Amino acid sequence: MAAVIIDAVRVYLIAGGGVAAVFLCWGVGRIEANARDAFAFRPLIAPGVVLLWPLVLWRWRVVLRGEDGGARHRPPRRAQDRIAVALALALPLVLTLGVLVRQNGPLERAPVRLAAPEIAR
Amino acid sequence: MSVKYVPVQWNRNKWIYDAVLLACVVGYAWIFLKLGAPAAGATRPVDDAVLRMRAFGSCAFLMLSLILCIGPLARLDARFLPLLYNRRHFGVLAALVALTHAVAVLDWYYAFSPTPPLQALLSANTSFGRALGFPFETFGIFALIVLGVLAATSHDFWLGFLSPPVWKALHLLIYPAYGAVVAHVALGYFQDVDNPGFALVFGGAALAVAGLHLAAARAGAPVAADPADWLPVARWDAIPDGRAIIVRLSVDEAAAVFRNGATLSAVSNACAHQSGPLGEGRILDGCITCPWHGFQYRPEDGRAPAPFTERIPTYRLRLDGAVVMLDRRANPPGTAVTPLALPVTA
Repeated sequence: MAAVIIDAVRVYLIAGGGVAAVFLCWGVGRIEANARDAFAFRPLIAPGVVLLWPLVLWRWRVVLRGEDGGARHRPPRRAQDRIAVALALALPLVLTLGVLVRQNGPLERAPVRLAAPEIAR
Repeated sequence: MSVKYVPVQWNRNKWIYDAVLLACVVGYAWIFLKLGAPAAGATRPVDDAVLRMRAFGSCAFLMLSLILCIGPLARLDARFLPLLYNRRHFGVLAALVALTHAVAVLDWYYAFSPTPPLQALLSANTSFGRALGFPFETFGIFALIVLGVLAATSHDFWLGFLSPPVWKALHLLIYPAYGAVVAHVALGYFQDVDNPGFALVFGGAALAVAGLHLAAARAGAPVAADPADWLPVARWDAIPDGRAIIVRLSVDEAAAVFRNGATLSAVSNACAHQSGPLGEGRILDGCITCPWHGFQYRPEDGRAPAPFTERIPTYRLRLDGAVVMLDRRANPPGTAVTPLALPVTA
């Protein structure tokens, strides 16, 4: 299973490398005005393209088709507030669990000395 | 601002910020190895390699905690605003420190494994069904991947290309990643350390992150739902010159009402760059200046001064006696609104 996961990740990253080569050499200057004739920054964004190439392909298509109508001036604060509540609930729970399950923690059962196995005579 | 992209927009303040950060990381590692580690009272003897990976692991955890505290602290108290500046370099450095920790783990625990190190890491412990002995490395792997993605998409290009809502949603992954880091520490390092002081430091840091986020969320609660288009903001003389008062219009929208001498202007509170809180900034050289990265806008029309092209929405204002009233219906980005003249000779 571990080998399958690692192979899948390897294939994903190789595909990302291909997308990055095309996007950074050819695509980015065509869809982003600030990237035209600007080459020094491109190696810096290459790791992001390799890691997120499906997202990059989707956004590339959206920008090319002019379908980009995001709520630019309304950052998603609603999620931020929900996350604050989730953090306040989850972090104390996780920390408490970490302390309780310690091998010498309060929930640990007393050790039992094992008797030597009976040896048939 | 809206000019050709460069790898990093360095300036003197960023050099100083980064130099201080690096010095703190090196200092922490040195103190941990020389003074802190022997006091940890590990249940089993540990060697230098283990100490080094713990130094970098704990450093990354504390850096991440501090990074997450900066936002709510600045929202609660303007004196923390300078810490917001260049926070993205702080995040990238935290990702690098976490990566150093991971490489140290692989190079030590799996150095002599007959299977490849990564494969051994994923297959060494698969006891996902129990809390004691849970493969806590999984949490660390998830957090490291997220930190890598966030660091890799921290350049300005990504915000423009992905669009602010997508970029912001992506970067909200920092919160599940932080939860995973806390679980990684609680089910990993907590299990081995005997000195309660260390548990208190790590637990305290995590609880501070949670508590500050709750406090900031409560402080930024939206104004009561009001069907009227005009909302009372504050008395005009309560707004300091060159500064703003933030009006929360809904859960997702806020306006910033700036006083510029004897006039008032209102714009969206979200900077067009990275949605930074403009209302926590101030007016410099006649322009509203974002506290995060210094993007500027003219108060009267929400447009960045030439040659830049960013625009933000504006709002209409009027006075009702001494109370400033704001029209909650935002104008399209870049719409000129005559500044509201105040009854003062400033």
